[in-house]
Amino acid sequence: MKKKYKRSFDEIREIVADTTRFFADENIDQSLRMKVDLSLEELFVNMVNYNTETTHDILIEMRPIASGIEVSLTDYDVDRFDPSESGTVDINAPLEERSPGGLGLYLVLKMADSINYEYHGRISKITFTNRLAVANV
Amino acid sequence: MFEIEFNDSGAVVVSGRLDAAQSPKAQAFLDRVMDECIVDMKALEYISSAGLGVLLKTHKRLMSNATGLKLVNVNRHINDVFRYSGFDKLFKIETAGA
Repeated sequence: MKKKYKRSFDEIREIVADTTRFFADENIDQSLRMKVDLSLEELFVNMVNYNTETTHDILIEMRPIASGIEVSLTDYDVDRFDPSESGTVDINAPLEERSPGGLGLYLVLKMADSINYEYHGRISKITFTNRLAVANV
Repeated sequence: MFEIEFNDSGAVVVSGRLDAAQSPKAQAFLDRVMDECIVDMKALEYISSAGLGVLLKTHKRLMSNATGLKLVNVNRHINDVFRYSGFDKLFKIETAGA
């Protein structure tokens, strides 16, 4: 699956529908679905919110891999931002010190089995994988 | 699709997918809650950090009055998200079937 989406939260519904179709067509195990949906949404939302210097659509690609799925998001004409270098979140902090900031990328780093970042010619590409064997450990 | 409403007992019932597109709807509803409140998540299928932010903001506001949100009928997948986020240390949570 390879498709471009407008830079709008309204596209999340379409992304979910396309992910549902891809999981069915490729017989991807449904136990991976929540983790894939979460990482996909958090990375897409992060691009929409913070890569405001571009108006290009965001490319999402999915492909089946052994026991799982590989998903890539590519954003064009943007600054470098490697999510694996984003700050950590103190999940043990008391309520008064907690804020939602940073939680999305923190969850991606927890949920994905691998994350790879590429940046060339102002093109930013994030690829993550989820595999059944790791998911069930 | 995401829905949020009060049931006959006064609990907030949420269903569907609470994602970044739906979080403003959830926040607008929960901003009307002024006292301790049960949130029934039996039919909630998915939550992202945007939804977590809505719960956190509401809980912090209510806890300033020594009340807060209690999350019940939480399914295993959503409970995993709560645990990864440390929400299990901030909220009273009852999992589905508990």
